[in-house]
Amino acid sequence: MATKTIQVDYLARVEGEGALDLHISDGRVTAARLNIFEPPRFFEAFLPGRGYAELPDIVARICGICPIAYQMSSVHAIERAFGAKVDGRLRALRRLVYCGEWIESHALHVVMLHAPDFLGFPDGISMAREHGDAVRNGLALKKTGNELMSLLGGREVHPVNVMAGGFHRVPTRVELAPMAEKLERARDLAAGLVRWVATFPFPDLERDYEFVALRHPDEYPFNEGRLVSNRDIDIDVSQFDNEFEERHVSHSTALHSAVKRRGAYLVGPMARYALNFDRLPASVQALAREAGLGPVCRNPFKSIVVRAIEIYYACEEALRLIADYTPPDAASVLVEPRAATGFGCTEAPRGICWHRYEFDGEGTIRAARIVPPTSQNQPSIEDDLAAVAGTMLDQPDDAIRGRCEQSIRNYDPCISCSAHFLKLTVHRE
Amino acid sequence: MSGPAAPRKIFVACLGNPDRGDDGIGALVAKALAGRLPADVALIARGGDMLALIDDWAGFDALICVDAAVPISGPGRIHRLDLATDALPAEMAVTSSHAFGLADAIRLARTLGQAPQEIIVYAVEGHSFDPGAAVTPAVADGIDEVAQRVVAEVTRLRPLMTLPLSGG
Repeated sequence: MATKTIQVDYLARVEGEGALDLHISDGRVTAARLNIFEPPRFFEAFLPGRGYAELPDIVARICGICPIAYQMSSVHAIERAFGAKVDGRLRALRRLVYCGEWIESHALHVVMLHAPDFLGFPDGISMAREHGDAVRNGLALKKTGNELMSLLGGREVHPVNVMAGGFHRVPTRVELAPMAEKLERARDLAAGLVRWVATFPFPDLERDYEFVALRHPDEYPFNEGRLVSNRDIDIDVSQFDNEFEERHVSHSTALHSAVKRRGAYLVGPMARYALNFDRLPASVQALAREAGLGPVCRNPFKSIVVRAIEIYYACEEALRLIADYTPPDAASVLVEPRAATGFGCTEAPRGICWHRYEFDGEGTIRAARIVPPTSQNQPSIEDDLAAVAGTMLDQPDDAIRGRCEQSIRNYDPCISCSAHFLKLTVHRE
Repeated sequence: MSGPAAPRKIFVACLGNPDRGDDGIGALVAKALAGRLPADVALIARGGDMLALIDDWAGFDALICVDAAVPISGPGRIHRLDLATDALPAEMAVTSSHAFGLADAIRLARTLGQAPQEIIVYAVEGHSFDPGAAVTPAVADGIDEVAQRVVAEVTRLRPLMTLPLSGG
């Protein structure tokens, strides 16, 4: 029996620490395992006993690149538990700060972390020698996203202005006005980015994913919606446990998620896009078509194009929100604790971020569960790896290794969130 | 032909996370420098992702950075690195791909042609980088000395340079 093992010991350009083992036996892939050895950080264990008001600031520390996602899912869970409703202009401001996070997170990944894979460079800095303008534009996009987060969140890393019920302080129209000028420039840069990445050489691979994302009656989703899939899931976010489960696997410190009845599913830009294409403005749909995308994209390597489309959308949406903005009467609505359980689910840049908290009558957290997007995508990542490697078994290990690393980066995985880096080992027998 | 003289444009970047023990040295030196630098010298304190700095220091003639470094020989020891001749120690690179460190930002800025001509880095060896911890005494003792050396560095770097006449 011919057996071979290919290993990537340390995968570059992902957040967190992990490795990949690929086992090939008798000309087929017998196992593809994403080994996450990032130590768990026990957020769910130390939240109990803390007050609800501390929650958004604590969970923001889970991730330096998508803190808004954790803050938003937590405040929605608090408000749902305590019967508070945040709507109107405060709700619009929450979408606006989320636009900032999508722009900065996606721009960093598309330009500095993922594009080098397609153009044959080891990293973004090497790529800058030949694609200086693309890198400059990417950095400018990221900076605009960061500035929007700083303006609304108080600072770009671990913002401090988000609270249950709204914000500690809301901006004036005068403060937002300069941001609109920057976002107009960013929107043009994003359109250029979409056109650039659409020219990349994409491996010919399509996968039959079960896409899972939020779906809202009117909007491309950030904060609200029902949890839906392209199969038959259409549930309130509180029913998550009815359809999904988390499983321990021996090779990962992060839990794997699965649809109970079927298994692996996909969250993130490709899922949001496929399930909500009709919610995108006509201008964004037109740009997607110009980039060669239909309403559904099943090629995981083209996720880079979808991510760029979402940057463009986030710039447009931010501009719309700023144009419509007048400061709300109050920076927050009253939130009064009661003994209850609350659920929150919002669309982090990498996909749905689901939270569940139990509170006592004083608003003290009694139990906490947080399901981050990357842990949900782990089984899909492993299925992608098996599919990708299966088409190139006759090629040298280095070629397989490189393509597998690229496949993992299709997900912009945040391994730190889910339990930075990856080792790939290929075992051939 | 030459025209009027202007001081060289200097950017001082004090780096680090003030909530992570000795990584707070940058913020403390920035505080100590407040009011001690000529008005045309840019002074910022920044933590986290360094990529945004590339835009900030573009167009400047000289860059002075203050940052904490991992312990090598002893906490509080001050190292002066002139990047014309010295390399930044690998330890100053942040390992997370999602937060590019100072060395990455300088390398990228040089590749893009957006790096100041002269770059001086003051690296102060730290001891504890624990979340929420105070700066350790040996590191705190060096704040004034680093601030004084930055002021002296600015004085050395800033002399008027003669601008070429435009037009023609």
